[in-house]
Amino acid sequence: MNGKWNDCFLGLKIIQFLIELHLEVDSIKMDEEPERAKRWEGGYERTWEILKEDESGSLKATVEEILFQAKRKRVFESHGQVRLGMMRHLYVVIDTSRTMEDQDLKPNRLTSTLKLVEYFVEEYFDQNPISQVGIITTKNKRAEKLTDLAGNPKKHIDALKKAKDSTCGGEPSLYNSLSLAMQTLKHMPGHSSREVLIIFSSLTTCDPANIYELVKTLKALKIRVSVIGLSAEVRVCTVLTRETGGSYHVILDESHFRELLMFHVKPPPATSSSECSLIRMGFPQHTIASLSDQDAKPSFSQAHLDSTSGGPGLSMGGYFCPQCQAKYTELPVECKVCGLTLVSAPHLARSFHHLFPLEAFQESPLLLHHTERFCEACQGELKDKSVFTCPSCNSVFCVECDLFIHDTLHCCPSCIHSRSAP
Amino acid sequence: MSAEDEVSLLVIVVDVNPIWWGQQANREPQFTLSKCLDAVMVMGNSHLVMTRTNKLAIIASHCQESHFLYPCKLWKSGDGHGDDNASTSGDGKYELLSVANDFIAEEIKNLMSRTEVKGNQTDTLLAGSLAKALCCILSIKMHTGQEMKSRILVVKAAEDCALQYMNFMNVIFAAQKQSILIDACVLDSDSGLLQQACDITGGLYLKIPQKIALAQYLLWVFLPDSDQRSQLVLPPPVHVDYRAACFCHRNLIEIGYVCSVCLSIFCNFSPICTTCETAFKIPLPQVVKSKKKKLKPSTHTCK
Repeated sequence: MNGKWNDCFLGLKIIQFLIELHLEVDSIKMDEEPERAKRWEGGYERTWEILKEDESGSLKATVEEILFQAKRKRVFESHGQVRLGMMRHLYVVIDTSRTMEDQDLKPNRLTSTLKLVEYFVEEYFDQNPISQVGIITTKNKRAEKLTDLAGNPKKHIDALKKAKDSTCGGEPSLYNSLSLAMQTLKHMPGHSSREVLIIFSSLTTCDPANIYELVKTLKALKIRVSVIGLSAEVRVCTVLTRETGGSYHVILDESHFRELLMFHVKPPPATSSSECSLIRMGFPQHTIASLSDQDAKPSFSQAHLDSTSGGPGLSMGGYFCPQCQAKYTELPVECKVCGLTLVSAPHLARSFHHLFPLEAFQESPLLLHHTERFCEACQGELKDKSVFTCPSCNSVFCVECDLFIHDTLHCCPSCIHSRSAP
Repeated sequence: MSAEDEVSLLVIVVDVNPIWWGQQANREPQFTLSKCLDAVMVMGNSHLVMTRTNKLAIIASHCQESHFLYPCKLWKSGDGHGDDNASTSGDGKYELLSVANDFIAEEIKNLMSRTEVKGNQTDTLLAGSLAKALCCILSIKMHTGQEMKSRILVVKAAEDCALQYMNFMNVIFAAQKQSILIDACVLDSDSGLLQQACDITGGLYLKIPQKIALAQYLLWVFLPDSDQRSQLVLPPPVHVDYRAACFCHRNLIEIGYVCSVCLSIFCNFSPICTTCETAFKIPLPQVVKSKKKKLKPSTHTCK
């Protein structure tokens, strides 16, 4: 008796999930066909027919299938041999207008957005270590910069934490926030990719001038604007993203919001008009000096001279710029004295997996593989319905190892053994 | 105190490169592969004995494959069989330890006798063993519901292989993301890759001055876990050279030029990138047109 109730409850959850999946597919197609018929104009889709009961009346098999699909939900498109924009200058515009006090995202839209943008900033610097991010907020028909374009995640995260206490009010202004972002982005060098990501919750915008002129200017400056909507689709955003080559999505719930943000962490394909150039960079050595060294002298780092936060500024070791010997405590940083970009070799190595992406593994049912009973990577038994085979070395992996290999590891453990990779 | 609930997993990756160990047997007959594995077994047993919930895994890194010495696949699939076949040790040793030691000895004997070194592949496949270790840690983490702290200890004998650089860096970043420490105990020559790994993940790097005392170094330096290490006086961190090597000469450079498309590093400016063959835009000096000055008729005369 209890089992039936559990199944019904699960069934309802599954129907909800399937409806969300259908809506998501529709929203992805949105910007490709601007004059497509709306969802209520189409016919009915019978989503409940996907659920099938087996002989004993339980939905267990269908539930397992759907959970398995959920694990594989991420659609990763490997770009293959397409050139990617590695050095990115991204502005995140956060709408802090009256509509952000709405409580459909818990506890309210603003707190939830700020938390997710913090997570986004950390992941962004993890995948794009030589890129920069700046944050702009817009409310009361004005826009102001929260943080400048910088390559250090700490500053942005501190500013986002402080912004949680700020009040929301008024209407946002798309024109003002875009022109503020444009003022800095137009001076950025040609080889970097210039992007703006707008998190837009209001349905209105208050602009001092014609925004379509601004869209033309943005297109000429090769700035790519993407929007994540929190309420509903707004036509001006559709036009803006279509003209500049960005993407527009509207969220369904918090987990969908997180997924859409993570979609922007990967470097986008570079436009054909971006220039390629050789960038001069410095690779400073890290000196660790201790008090017992006779030559060691404590010194201030350049970052501490400007910051107002407390704490001892003197430190013994650090990174010294090879051109002007200015000291810094963290990398990557742009030297304030001589303008040289300072990075370390592991920072560049973090981006290599974008250049040599791993192929997707082939899925096949477990029944075809009689001989292998263990996953090659984790040595665990193969219990799932299907297994994944690497096309180059034909080794068999389980579902969790496949996800881990493609998301985090970026190299096949067996291919490393069979051939020596570059 | 949740010390009872916390599971700590130690994965030991032992470099069993047959060529290096063969040469080692000629150089120093008193320290051979079997002595090294004895020390590793002592380390593994000590880790299992520290807390009841500790777990252990040992991987042997060969030049053709990486093999799990412990836990054994066959043992995992049928739990009952393992207990029946294991001979109870006569000296009253804790069953778990004696079974583990027997398995390790058995597996390493099989591994060394069945593999033949062919061709010029004489480098230890360390990156592959570390990748398998990470997947194994992840799967064990998923099967135990409790929070688990894990670390990897690498006992390295042979030299680095420069061809594995990219895979190695991928593995290091994956370990850093999962908060897994990588410690390194180096027997012979310094390894730049392992120094970077220990620095990035927060582990310890140590090059042993006397190989015979391996067991002592392992127990004193590498047995305590990360929480306890802050209370101990341990060998200081080494200076890691993070300079990049240029792609044309393989020299370490301090200032270089980086291609914006493929991120290859060059020491001198060149108009074409050799890796991705993109032609670069050469920044030309800007020509400033001089403005024609209108001369006003002046009336002063030179004296």
